[in-house]
Amino acid sequence: MSSESHELLVVKNLSTTFTTMGGPLPAVADVSFTLARNETIGIVGESGSGKTVLSRTIMGLQPRTNVSVTGSVLLNGNEMVGASEAAKRALWGTEVAMVFQDPMTSLNPVMRVGKQIDESLRVRLGMSKNDAKARAIELLELVGIPSPAQRYMAYPGQLSGGMRQRVVIAIALAGSPNLLMADEPTTGLDVTIQAQILNLLDDLKDRMKMSVVLVTHDLGVVATRTSRIVVMYAGRIVETGSTRDVFHRHRMPYTRALLESSPKVSNASHTRLVTIPGRPPNLLKLTDGCSFAPRCSFATDKCHTQRPELEAAGEPGHAFACWNPLPTTTEP
Amino acid sequence: MSDTRQPLLSVRDLKVTFGKGHHAVSAVAGVSFDIFPGETLGLVGESGCGKSTTGKALMRIIEPSSGSIELEGSSLIGQRGRALRNLRTHMQMIFQDPISSLNPRRRVKDIVAEPLDCWKTVSGSERDVLVSDLLSKVGIDPKVYGNRYARQFSGGQCQRISIARSLAMRPKLLICDEMVSALDVSVQAQILNLLEDLKDEYGLTLLFIAHDLAVVKNVSDRVAVMYLGKICEIGPSDALYDAPAHPYTKFLLGAALDADPDSPLHNEVLEGEPPSPLNPPSGCRFRTRCPNATDKCANEEPQPQEIAPGHQVSCHFPLSVQRK
Repeated sequence: MSSESHELLVVKNLSTTFTTMGGPLPAVADVSFTLARNETIGIVGESGSGKTVLSRTIMGLQPRTNVSVTGSVLLNGNEMVGASEAAKRALWGTEVAMVFQDPMTSLNPVMRVGKQIDESLRVRLGMSKNDAKARAIELLELVGIPSPAQRYMAYPGQLSGGMRQRVVIAIALAGSPNLLMADEPTTGLDVTIQAQILNLLDDLKDRMKMSVVLVTHDLGVVATRTSRIVVMYAGRIVETGSTRDVFHRHRMPYTRALLESSPKVSNASHTRLVTIPGRPPNLLKLTDGCSFAPRCSFATDKCHTQRPELEAAGEPGHAFACWNPLPTTTEP
Repeated sequence: MSDTRQPLLSVRDLKVTFGKGHHAVSAVAGVSFDIFPGETLGLVGESGCGKSTTGKALMRIIEPSSGSIELEGSSLIGQRGRALRNLRTHMQMIFQDPISSLNPRRRVKDIVAEPLDCWKTVSGSERDVLVSDLLSKVGIDPKVYGNRYARQFSGGQCQRISIARSLAMRPKLLICDEMVSALDVSVQAQILNLLEDLKDEYGLTLLFIAHDLAVVKNVSDRVAVMYLGKICEIGPSDALYDAPAHPYTKFLLGAALDADPDSPLHNEVLEGEPPSPLNPPSGCRFRTRCPNATDKCANEEPQPQEIAPGHQVSCHFPLSVQRK
């Protein structure tokens, strides 16, 4: 691992546990990873795997009560865990910004979109009203919205889903953040619009020298857009490595199941899909063993009683958590 | 089509218009296709293209404005009351959101038995045996789960229950509207495999409506691509995916993401967004976004032409079949 200053984001032993009526719910458990400057990392998992809670914890957006966060999130040298609201507010927008999944609910429906971009420029950067308006129109142009000066006056309801997501991205970029967290940024958008938004994020990453955390359930989204991938299951990282290693040299049976169960355009029709029985575990009733063991065809007694830790695979940066890993394969 | 088989469902020039006068939106603007017994026809398109409206119009959940729908030769248009209800038993629909399509306060076995109770086809112990059989077929143990309420099940299990309910009347045609889009990939794979098994076992014919190109290719024998209320291309799935003839199909496939780090990046991305169906472009509806559009496309509406057996495209300048 390279020196600390090279890394923009260092997450160490991060755990987020919610207190619920049914007992403590470990939504994120012992997660560690780093992100270099100008790098894109993908966080992949099914619903309930903890990927959204993880991204919100990194942002410091967890609720104030009934939650305990332990571990450390160093963002450009600033500790986010345990930081005061004021300290976090100083970092939001300028250090880290977030693009949420649903562009309809993350915008105020009764406020012109231009004003919503202005808001962060004036509050975070202390710009004057006129400067903020000029910059907001520039930002709308930057995210590829046609006739930005007119769109500045539009309400969110007058824009399509794809356009709204571009506005949300413009708001996130207003403070020129070093880190952009994108939580399912294209889920719910049509494929052609999804391709436009992913290309836009890629392009902006290079132009604004940002790092991006791309959180998604869709392996297709991360396959060509990220340099590294983190695979999560039941709140824990089960495999991580370079995108190529995770796709072609995965060792954890869950990673393989996830890859093989998604239908592919390049397969012939009526290709039988590989399935994993059952469904993700109830986080309130986790055992001491591997959380994937009940669904795993390779599981032994050890898997049910002892939790495997992440261990390094042959390739640099590639690690997996499994007692009975798949054999190493050569590249296809 | 040069097919000599009798189609199970035959749709000609189906139109659905919402509203009147200036506010009229033609959601489905003249759609024709056949579905043959035992096959799966996939219907893909982006949101707002009219694919779900087409599915609902076939069931006459939404009333078509014009056109004809024939199921095994008997017309569904113009039927009313008992005659329509009788015809509908041959067609069943499965919806997108599995949880909201089941009554959360009813027991699973009663949900599955509902169609049987409505039609009183079977009764007493025979009914219970049939319900248990249906539930086991979809992978839900009737002894353990039959008495539970729908609200106690996850999305994937609810979709299994919906499938069991739709099979209760032994339908000939199943219309699946985005039935796996709310599910996680591992659960989605289970449901897709289950659907293939049941299709063989019950001799079902399927209309599979979805936006996900990979899912549609996986289940379909033939695929129809819709854009702004019209079918722009229809053909055998493998041929259509390997060599799309309509420029829109090509862009749509180019935007689909395969989970493979070595797949090519999207350099040719379709710009802009579909025009409003309130005021569709003249001539070819795709011409405003098509790189090959000419004056002819604006003036003349392209008619479906057959470029290979069973492969039709509505375009004045179809892409050559050789080019991938």
